[in-house]
Amino acid sequence: MYRPFIPGLGLAAVLMTAALASCSGDEDGVTPTPDGGGDPRVDSGLPPEDSGTPDAGYDAGTGDAGADAGTSEDAGTNEDAGTPDAGAAFPPNTLSGFGLFTGTPASGGLRPVAGNIPYELTTPLFSDYSVKSRTLYIPPDAPAGYTANDVLNLPVGTIITKTFAFPADLRVPEENVRAIETRVLVHRPGGWEAFPYFWNEAQTEATLANGGRVVRGVSFIGEDGVERTLDYLVPSKNQCLKCHHLQDAQENQVLLPIGVKARYLNQDHDYGDGPINQLQHLANLGRLTGLPPVDQIPRAPNAFNAEDGTLERRARAYLDINCAHCHNPKGTAGTTSRLFLNVDNTEEFTMGVCKRPGSAGGGVGGEFDIVPGSHSVSILWYRMHTEESGKMMPELGRVLRHDQGSQLIADWIDAMPARACK
Amino acid sequence: MHPLPLSRAPRAVLLALVGLIVLPACSDDGDDRPDAGQPDSGMPADAGSDAGSDAGSDAGTPDAGGSMAWPQDFSCEDTERTELTFNPGQEQELQDAVNALGDCTTIKLGAGTFQFDNAITIRANGITVKGAGKGTQGEGTGGESSTVLDFTHAAANTNGFDVVGKLFTVSDLAVWNAKKDGLRIESSINVNIQRIRTEWAQESQESNGKYGIYPVKSTYVLVEDCEAYNAADAGIYVGQTLHTIVRRNVAKKNVAGIEIENTKYAHVANNIAQDNTTGLVVFDLPGNPIRGTDIYIAHNTITGNNRPNFASVESSSSTVSQVPAGTGTFILASRRVEMEHNTWGNNNTVDIAILSGLAIESDPIQWAAGFFNYPSQDISIHDNTFTGGSGRMVDNGTPDLEFRPLGALVGAVYQYGAAAHGVTGVEHVLWDGIDPAPRNESLANPINICFTRNTLPEGTQASVVDFDLQAVGGHLEAGPSPANMAAAWGETRRYVQDAEPFNCSGFTPALTIR
Repeated sequence: MYRPFIPGLGLAAVLMTAALASCSGDEDGVTPTPDGGGDPRVDSGLPPEDSGTPDAGYDAGTGDAGADAGTSEDAGTNEDAGTPDAGAAFPPNTLSGFGLFTGTPASGGLRPVAGNIPYELTTPLFSDYSVKSRTLYIPPDAPAGYTANDVLNLPVGTIITKTFAFPADLRVPEENVRAIETRVLVHRPGGWEAFPYFWNEAQTEATLANGGRVVRGVSFIGEDGVERTLDYLVPSKNQCLKCHHLQDAQENQVLLPIGVKARYLNQDHDYGDGPINQLQHLANLGRLTGLPPVDQIPRAPNAFNAEDGTLERRARAYLDINCAHCHNPKGTAGTTSRLFLNVDNTEEFTMGVCKRPGSAGGGVGGEFDIVPGSHSVSILWYRMHTEESGKMMPELGRVLRHDQGSQLIADWIDAMPARACK
Repeated sequence: MHPLPLSRAPRAVLLALVGLIVLPACSDDGDDRPDAGQPDSGMPADAGSDAGSDAGSDAGTPDAGGSMAWPQDFSCEDTERTELTFNPGQEQELQDAVNALGDCTTIKLGAGTFQFDNAITIRANGITVKGAGKGTQGEGTGGESSTVLDFTHAAANTNGFDVVGKLFTVSDLAVWNAKKDGLRIESSINVNIQRIRTEWAQESQESNGKYGIYPVKSTYVLVEDCEAYNAADAGIYVGQTLHTIVRRNVAKKNVAGIEIENTKYAHVANNIAQDNTTGLVVFDLPGNPIRGTDIYIAHNTITGNNRPNFASVESSSSTVSQVPAGTGTFILASRRVEMEHNTWGNNNTVDIAILSGLAIESDPIQWAAGFFNYPSQDISIHDNTFTGGSGRMVDNGTPDLEFRPLGALVGAVYQYGAAAHGVTGVEHVLWDGIDPAPRNESLANPINICFTRNTLPEGTQASVVDFDLQAVGGHLEAGPSPANMAAAWGETRRYVQDAEPFNCSGFTPALTIR
């Protein structure tokens, strides 16, 4: 008989939240926020008054911890967090240690516990055609603050998960799904930390894999009916920083989430009672404050729905979510290349138009990042299109070409009024 | 004015140009001076303005431990030091440990071969990685006293080492067949790279990793007693860095052996750069905000750098992909460079080329980020030894009009010079004559290139040439006629050592990092 391995559903997460918050102690807990935007204290410590002993911090909730867990509904109160005797260190060795899900891929799929809110992005980052599911846990007593352009002001204790899976056939994405990894981003008093969890063959548990893993020979049939095979890289903990970073004022690298921005969350999702705007849903739950009326919230279009925006807007959204986490004025790759693909950059040159790269290496398709009207000699397109190691972009997270994305950017460049660069 | 850069010259013009190589000697040398242009626009001589009089005390002396004198941004004195040991077969354990490192950990790697499927990514301070030895060139498997980190089967697009941290030391190991860069260290302070070998198994493969040893955007970097082979860009590359010592290294079979790019205060000594396309280079790239200056190059051997440029492929955009084979050293968009007690020889194109940044990027706006740092200025070359054999077969006699046009142009002009004037080859130092732009013909040595007390091969006549690239290019673009060819040749000027105006004694203030 299958024995649930998460005894304290929901509770463990709360335990940890409280514990994490308590870790902030008398530090100011201010997280460097290169994105700026808003009062940094909004997402600083906020240690619950009654969060138990400071020791609690490293008790992530093992089996024992959950014994008195009760239901997930009442898990949100800090009273429950009181006696952290369990002992597992943070981060938990297994994904289940977070208590964020019930079920497993082997038992019909991961089901987020109450308070761990699924969400989708209007245009997600491409990762080798993997199917991704995302959840957002915000501590009940510390709502996030709305920001118009940057990552939402997420409090300490926030946990973001993203599970990467490959269905055997993308045309029937619900069937024969193999989960590979679940990445967990945790907002701790000292800042965000990222942890990769690697799913076992039996699909019953994901285990912390700080060192990353390479999964050889992952195969699936694409939406076009063509079978693809790749060696899938589960990035190491430190490699998470390669994408999830910005430079703060002291030029230190700071880890930040990427997709949890209003413009990507601004769409409907069905949580069981019919479609509702995801941001409104968070606000209704008391997990998001300061939300303006929905019609005043920026929105990134679905890059592949022509009804959803102009070619320009869709292409820029695609570049924004796929490239701009590095290619922005605060990213080290961005500052080196001077190529800024963030959607709010309106300067043609730093967007790549007729811009020579500083040092592009050999054989990358052209002399300029973008040659208006000519995608085939534009380095930007070439690097997105190629599958050659050392030349393709982004640096991590892609082995295969994204056919749709490549086509979108080709169409966008070709639609620019043609002109020769010099 | 003739448009620059020549690197973008129309293919047809250059094709025609090469046709001239077989022209018989022509009579009309032509005396038509180019129009003198405007008076010196006053490109400010920047000697000393940012020389950093305090540089020297920081840099230490090369033989006195050097980096030990640098200030340390991070210390392990108050931190408990941990030591972890891994042996071949424990790669996954090592990767897990590396991603959970506390500051001030030493990782010792046993002898033998480690097979990695991913980069070793380090984000902590006070980390030391130490192997059993770097082995020898060609050694893809570790022996009893060598540690080889083999990345042949690593995930696509990954480096060997990928490091951001303070007080990082890596020593006594080899990085083999990294997918991208062998040892990439970025945005770090106090970096010690000692007795490392980076190598790719195959020679002259454009698909090899780009850089062997690659500290970039860092401060206080020591690279010593290392070896770098078969990189498709640079074997050893120090970029965008403040204070570096690069000494006693060997760089062979790379496109560029050793590169110092957009770097301030570099002490480059006792290195061997051979069998690369270009041996040892100093340059600023357009658009980079760090303005390189104060480069000291001494006791290096830069000979026989004649490897065909294997980065020179279709649509390549890198600077080094445009360098003709046989370039011993080039100085581009650089200032306050002193070279003494080095040995050059048997570099087929030229021993030393001094170039303006405008030769590769003609739009000054592109140089705005570095405060218009395209000019080269204050280059002192003294007390070196030139052994001969250089300059006799530009780009190995295989000019490529499209990919390496500068070499094609120089080659064509010297073909003419040989035929018409009996000049046997490119002089030891070729100055492109661009800076300050626009050129003032009344000034023979406006950027203060000094060439004195060097030991030259017996029978040497001229040893420095002002090539006047812009004027030469203009004549040749006008068409491949004998008259144009002669006119182009007529723009070039040759100087013997100790003749004015190149017999100057350096620049002021003197470098403080010698």
